[in-house]
Amino acid sequence: MPEQSENRIERIVDDLLHGRRLRLRAGDAEEKQAIIAAARLAAARSGPQRMSPAFRRRLAQILDSTPREPRLTRRAALVAGLGVAAGALAGGLVGRELAYSPAPLPLSASSPVVPRNGRWTDVGAMADFSEGQGKLVRAGAVGAFVFRRGETVTAVSSMCSHLPCELWWEGGSSLLECPCHPVSFTYDGKPSSPAYTLPALNEVKVRVTAAGRVEVLGT
Amino acid sequence: MTLDPRSPSDSSASAGDSGEVVELPSATRATDIALDELELVYAFIYARVGNRADAEDLTQQVAMKAIPRLRQGAPASAIRGYLFATARSVLGAFWSTRLGLSHAELHEDLALAVPQGPPSDESAERARRILAGLSDNYRRVLELRFLHGYSLKEVAAEMRSTVGAVKVMQLRALRAAAKVDPDA
Repeated sequence: MPEQSENRIERIVDDLLHGRRLRLRAGDAEEKQAIIAAARLAAARSGPQRMSPAFRRRLAQILDSTPREPRLTRRAALVAGLGVAAGALAGGLVGRELAYSPAPLPLSASSPVVPRNGRWTDVGAMADFSEGQGKLVRAGAVGAFVFRRGETVTAVSSMCSHLPCELWWEGGSSLLECPCHPVSFTYDGKPSSPAYTLPALNEVKVRVTAAGRVEVLGT
Repeated sequence: MTLDPRSPSDSSASAGDSGEVVELPSATRATDIALDELELVYAFIYARVGNRADAEDLTQQVAMKAIPRLRQGAPASAIRGYLFATARSVLGAFWSTRLGLSHAELHEDLALAVPQGPPSDESAERARRILAGLSDNYRRVLELRFLHGYSLKEVAAEMRSTVGAVKVMQLRALRAAAKVDPDA
């Protein structure tokens, strides 16, 4: 026999008044507004709340033990194809291993993207790349802009170092532009304006084979 | 491309930010700033879930989600706005998970203003407003239960009623309270 609404609400009110967690069940949804009102009234009884010293210390530990450059961590995770981990970090599901790790992650500004179990991916022949022009290529989950200068090639991540947005190549200005905010980068990954204290883009490993094929280290 | 003179951090902030830019000279200082902002978040969440355990869990979730933003030295107003946007999202997920509801159904609970100062007696003021909008019987049962901490039996004795009747009245009073305060 289903529990009567007044009994369910009383159970919830009793928990609240005894400082216990809200133990809700799917069937309680029909009394959603009453439950929320009860929670508000229970909070009012306790007055304005501050964090307990123990909880504040715990939060401080979490904040202090998190890698110092989570922005880069997120970007690095994205460019390395670890979108799920990055999403979990952003979504709080959390990359607890990342978030609670006492040691900073090894990736830092301009560090190369070295995917775990990475493999070289053929992205075209040298002739496919125009001198000095950025070309977006994909090597599995790794996106990169490849630049040819003479017989050498270089590559940088296609992800902005500030926001997790994919850059695009602006041939007129010879810059990599971020569609999400007004910043741009030169072919070697450096921010184009010294006024912006942005990290450089991550380097992406690229090589030319004996057969004249360009290969990018991806996933 | 015309470069915007704002810093990248500014550009990622919400439009209209005019807050003072928070420089983060050290990790310790950054943590202190974050904790001060999270104190507001905790009070905000507590006022909506009514118990410490859930409030701590949810505040911790907000902190975890907001760490990247906290580390960027964004404008104070942007940090606070981001934290409270995150808090609303976390609260929405909390209610929807616990009650099996969609976020859309909880929209009214999430569309709340960002507090501008230290934890205040907003909850008590809101409760007073709600109670004032109720009929005498409903107000009395909620006052006795929530503000004075009476048990059902004590409320029944005080109101010369039965425990069963008080239980039903409590449910109806809470439904009425939700209507008095549409944000509740």
